[in-house]
Amino acid sequence: MPLIAIIEKELRMFFRYPLRVFSAVLVGIVFLLQFVFFGQAVLGGRYSPLLASSTGIGDYPTYALVGYVLWWLSVSPMEAYVWGIRRELQRGTFETNIAAPIRITELLLGLALSWLIMDSVLMMIVFAFGILIFGISLTFSILLKSLPILLLSFLAFLGFGFIFAGLVMMLKHIGPFAQIFEFAMLFFSGVFFPLNVMPKAIIEFSKILPLTHSVTAIRGIFVGKTYAEIAPSITWLLLLVLVYWLVGYILFRWAERITRVMGYGGY
Amino acid sequence: MYAIEVSELRKSYPKKIPLPFRKVEWIEAVKGISFKVKKGELFGLLGPNGAGKTTTIKILTTLLEPSGGTAKILGFDIRKDAREIRKRINLVAEGERTLYWRLSAYENLKYFARIYYIPKSEENERIEGLLKLVGLWERKDDLVMNYSRGMKQRLAIAKALINDPEVLFLDEPTLGLDVQSAIFVREFIRKLVDEQKKTVLLTTHYMAEAEELCDRIAIIDHGKIIALDTPEGLKKLVKGEDVVEIRVRDFSVQKLKNFPWKLAIVREDVERGITTLRGQITEEDLPKVVELLVKSGARILSVEQKEPTLEDVFIKLTGRTLRD
Ligand SMILES: Nc1ncnc2c1ncn2[C@@H]1O[C@H](COP(=O)(O)OP(=O)(O)OP(=O)(O)O)[C@@H](O)[C@H]1O
Ligand SMILES: [Mg+2]
Repeated sequence: MPLIAIIEKELRMFFRYPLRVFSAVLVGIVFLLQFVFFGQAVLGGRYSPLLASSTGIGDYPTYALVGYVLWWLSVSPMEAYVWGIRRELQRGTFETNIAAPIRITELLLGLALSWLIMDSVLMMIVFAFGILIFGISLTFSILLKSLPILLLSFLAFLGFGFIFAGLVMMLKHIGPFAQIFEFAMLFFSGVFFPLNVMPKAIIEFSKILPLTHSVTAIRGIFVGKTYAEIAPSITWLLLLVLVYWLVGYILFRWAERITRVMGYGGY
Repeated sequence: MYAIEVSELRKSYPKKIPLPFRKVEWIEAVKGISFKVKKGELFGLLGPNGAGKTTTIKILTTLLEPSGGTAKILGFDIRKDAREIRKRINLVAEGERTLYWRLSAYENLKYFARIYYIPKSEENERIEGLLKLVGLWERKDDLVMNYSRGMKQRLAIAKALINDPEVLFLDEPTLGLDVQSAIFVREFIRKLVDEQKKTVLLTTHYMAEAEELCDRIAIIDHGKIIALDTPEGLKKLVKGEDVVEIRVRDFSVQKLKNFPWKLAIVREDVERGITTLRGQITEEDLPKVVELLVKSGARILSVEQKEPTLEDVFIKLTGRTLRD
């Protein structure tokens, strides 16, 4: 299976340098601590009744850890395209791949899956670290119940990221734009503070971001809600999976046509 | 059936991203070229920088959309049957970074075997055979980044053979290689055609390479084919003419522009201020040429008769050298 070959290749290159993996984990952890301590300083302590009343989770580290890990994973496919494809475009390996009979969509999907797997490994470590250092109580059943939601979220994230695949091929360098977008998502998806403190327009906008619903659903599971209780978020996610895969695919085909006129390389 | 059939092929690049409703200017890179390559032939596209060689190869390997004309590879249309074509061809692209430097040679070939849908049962045997063929078997587990330029190119060729292609496209296969590697690559290409009956289309701006290697050569300049023949046939264009090389000091290009003869600068020794000019000049004309040069302020160091080469064909047709 070519898809497996792509994943194998990407993982091999990523894990070839243990120091790089280590530094990636470190960045993940430092970033998390920064936000959690900053958030606690603003809230004036670990537990916030305000947070509890508006989101159901009053314990800030739990609230932030779930949001942070999901945010990181949600931008992973996007990063795969924005940085991964760009790197290959620049080096010329992209054309070597395109020249093969494998479908370009399969190639891109493989790339995004690889990054999602690598980031999942990274985030598992960060998550475990967070659980330990903040003494968050976690049961096996919470983890198990989160898993299907997580997989559904991955599907949505992949579709969402695919929008960027075409843009990168066509525009070559959209890193700065993508970075702004990634950080905007931090604010617009209720990762570090509840969405309902935001203006109404932003709350409405946040609904088209898969991350918003993914975070809400998993936080729900963490406070013991049943699937029935988080059904609205699941429905949203299912809807967004369809929408983003469709929109992403159409946009990509359009960008691909234009790219084939300009050339894949070309700096 | 021809291996490659190109008819009135054109390509213009947009200067900006051609979004709908946006007015963009276009640069013409290939201006209507036609040629046919027979199966088992080694065909060369010879031309200076920017002639449109890479553009042509990218179109024929289905990586780039042509603006006009048609092309068929093994009977398949490049616009409609890209996937069928990709299964049956392969290419060595320009540049040295077309493979993954952070993988070993073996890992690279294994990856490409998979995305070329090589059956798993054949995979290992084929990779071993190819690595032995290009002399990299002993180094198969080293990361490509530690390879020399020549070794990288040999691996790129091995990758290009992974699907046992019927037609092979090579874009400047010896560019930037040391002399020994270049010889290896040239001999290797010749053997592919002679022994494995592959069809090869290569581009080069080294005329000696084209002359030595190719069965037929298309000379391409500014996106047009200006001559197409066997090396011998091409050289007939300058046969019987006297090719002269003149070495001069204090030469200025401005003054050459007004020359009625097609002379080209073939070498410039900036340090010593010596310029070597070359062109077809008859015995009667030679004194006049020398006189004009002297009048322009240049000092003649030597005048020498030379055997005509492909470069003289190019000079005769364009008034420029391939290096210009
Ligand atoms: N992606 C691109 N976008 C715009 N213009 C391009 C692009 N690629 C090539 N060109 C232009 O098209 C012309 C032909 O370029 P091409 O690369 O095909 O020439 P070449 O014969 O391969 O030259 P070289 O010997 O430098 O490799 C040049 O003027 C080049 O600047
Ligand atoms: Mg070129």
